[in-house]
Amino acid sequence: MKVQTKGRFTFKGGTHPPESKGLTEKSAIQPGPVPRQVAVMLSQHTGAVCEPLVRKGDAVQAGQKIGDSDAFVSAPVHSPINGKVKEIALQSHAVLGRSLAVIIEADAENNPLKQPASARFGGDFDEDAYSVEKICAAVREAGIVGMGGAGFPTRVKIEPNPRLPKQTLVINGCECEPYITCDYRIMLEWTHQIIAGIKLARKASGCSKVFIGIEDNKPRAIKVLNAAVKTHRNAEDIKVVPVRTKYPQGGERQLIRAILGKYVPTGGIPPMIGVVVLNAATTAAIAEAVVCNAPLTHRAVTVSGEAIANPGNLYVPIGLPVADLIDFCGGVTQKSAKVVLGGPMMGIAIADLTTPITKTTNAITVLTRKQIGSAKFAGRQTACIRCGRCLEVCPEHLNPTKIAHAVKNNLLDVAEGYYINACTECGCCSYVCPANVELTGYIKTGKIFLARQKKKMPQ
Amino acid sequence: MLSQITVSPAPHISKPLSTRSVMIDVVIGLVPAMITAGYYFRIHAFILIPTCVVSAVITEWLCNVIRRKSNPLESLGDFSAVVTGIILALSVPPVLPVWAAVIGSGFAIAIGKMVFGGLGANIFNPAMAGRAFLTASFGMLMTTWTVPATIDAKMPRISADNMLDTRTQATPLALSKQAQKARTGADALNEQLRAAFTGEVGGCLGETSALALLIGGIYLLARRTISFHIPLAVTLSAFVFSGVAYLINTQAYASPVFHLCSGGLLIGAFFIATDPVTAPLTTRGMWIFGIGVGTVTMLIRIVGEYPEGVMYSVLLMNAVTPLIDRFCKLIPAGGRPHV
Repeated sequence: MKVQTKGRFTFKGGTHPPESKGLTEKSAIQPGPVPRQVAVMLSQHTGAVCEPLVRKGDAVQAGQKIGDSDAFVSAPVHSPINGKVKEIALQSHAVLGRSLAVIIEADAENNPLKQPASARFGGDFDEDAYSVEKICAAVREAGIVGMGGAGFPTRVKIEPNPRLPKQTLVINGCECEPYITCDYRIMLEWTHQIIAGIKLARKASGCSKVFIGIEDNKPRAIKVLNAAVKTHRNAEDIKVVPVRTKYPQGGERQLIRAILGKYVPTGGIPPMIGVVVLNAATTAAIAEAVVCNAPLTHRAVTVSGEAIANPGNLYVPIGLPVADLIDFCGGVTQKSAKVVLGGPMMGIAIADLTTPITKTTNAITVLTRKQIGSAKFAGRQTACIRCGRCLEVCPEHLNPTKIAHAVKNNLLDVAEGYYINACTECGCCSYVCPANVELTGYIKTGKIFLARQKKKMPQ
Repeated sequence: MLSQITVSPAPHISKPLSTRSVMIDVVIGLVPAMITAGYYFRIHAFILIPTCVVSAVITEWLCNVIRRKSNPLESLGDFSAVVTGIILALSVPPVLPVWAAVIGSGFAIAIGKMVFGGLGANIFNPAMAGRAFLTASFGMLMTTWTVPATIDAKMPRISADNMLDTRTQATPLALSKQAQKARTGADALNEQLRAAFTGEVGGCLGETSALALLIGGIYLLARRTISFHIPLAVTLSAFVFSGVAYLINTQAYASPVFHLCSGGLLIGAFFIATDPVTAPLTTRGMWIFGIGVGTVTMLIRIVGEYPEGVMYSVLLMNAVTPLIDRFCKLIPAGGRPHV
């Protein structure tokens, strides 16, 4: 039977930046560099920051829990290597600016490279050997969070919740950001592990329907997964759905809209309409956590961009400094560049290359001046000509120019009137703007200002 | 190796699109109309178009100097003054004196655009503001029409006419107005349809050829420089309005096709009403705006006293654009948030 790889499903809005995935889509996931030192952030997820469980001078083992929190929405962190705690100090953090991290010096003699666990999974995986409680506990103890970007603790997502019962599990294999190919490689190379993870997540969440959404620019992944669900026991109702290649198809709200035709309420979360969305890499981590009892200490990262000498996909310890990873890939070929954690559309540009990889870092993209565009590189904005292109591409049907200009003029109430908080910060509006206005930047700033203002207000 | 790292908010790439490229696209879209202007009105086109463009650009530079801009030439790079100059030149009578064209372009840029704060902040379409100023100030000059050079050559020379270097001729729309008043003779206008389509009639410099404007308009649509909403709304509403009038009395009212092809309706629909700065942002707003432009134009043409009404209707709808934007607020994809 011929597999349908053309995506018919999509959403209204969005744009299609150059995919630039050719740099790395053929490079298999390789083990990364041997770290000399790692900095494991105590906050790598949405929710409460972990308390350190170790002290300066303590010896730690690979996989040992080094930070945890009693809060419900949180996830523990683990050491990826054998070594000694050098200190617990502030480190540059991509999102939070500066945040506490456990800095571990590697034990030079005794540090075997960790290999991916995919070899331990085959087509005969049986999830009935694991109870719902055991799956949830293992996912929690392994510190698994959404590995696509937001980093929401996965246990909270998949755990049965009587108030918000879930029926549909959507696996996000879209990877709509340019340059990034790590999820694509995971789907090709760790196929059985992903299916195992999906089956475990389906069991834990009690979902009856499972969809795997993949953009149609990855026909190989669509074919491989389609073949895999046929060989697995009890997996025939997992549907692989090709979706149209368009940014931000991998946003969970957009993916749900494309596959299920449902709209997640503004300001709400998918469970409100009975849906759980898990990233492909996250399902692989679930399988590893439940079956191998291995915590989330390593992840696949795409190191790409035209300014990187040898781009590729690497399996690296979480906490590795970005600079080590760039050096491992041959370094940077340009004098001036932009180093982005994540993809070029939503990633965060960093200035400090000692910033460590976290659980949510799916890529390091090093962009050249030419790609960014000289006007954009120089930050040259001109006046809005009200052309309406930002309204056309906004996947949340907002009015980005009105919101951004309200924020610019410090009219936060006006920005709120245009539903600033419904923005998912996908960046489509800034991408298409002919006047180079940093619409997304203004909107992000406005959201932060609003949140601060609300905090200060007396209840 | 890295010696300079830049940081900025995401996204870090952008579509190769700039205000300048958008404006240059509009200029390219206007090329067919400029060619037909040159073909039918010869020397007048070659004088008027450069005059308007140059004086518009110089006025913008002067305004920037007066505003003490650090680089008064910078804003000229966006080509918006060029577009304003071309549109103004194409929408005035071919025999307009050069000094009047200079005044019109100066007003269009200085009062129509720069006093509001420059591109993006103006309320009214600058070219139409300039044209309205000319109409109000030099009514006689703005209603003196010449015949296309191609007709002029064919026409037999009558002794009295030889005294003048140009011949005047009523525009098709003026004839249509006469027919309305006389309640007869509108069907004769349909014989002029072919000429109105190719442009071999009297009228404003660049408005006469419906064909050239259509080609330019389709170019802009294909390049996605403009969206189809406003042109479609303008032409459709004008067609329906004039169609109803035509069905009521075919002797008094010209056919809807005649109305679409004559006067400034097509240049208005494709190039003037679509000026993004002065048109609404939302799709719904664009429909309302376009229907407003088409309907008001036809109201003036069919009910009002003037033969032509595109300029006034565009200016009128420009004035209500902020209101339209306020009424046509978008609802987020996930519905209004529950507070």
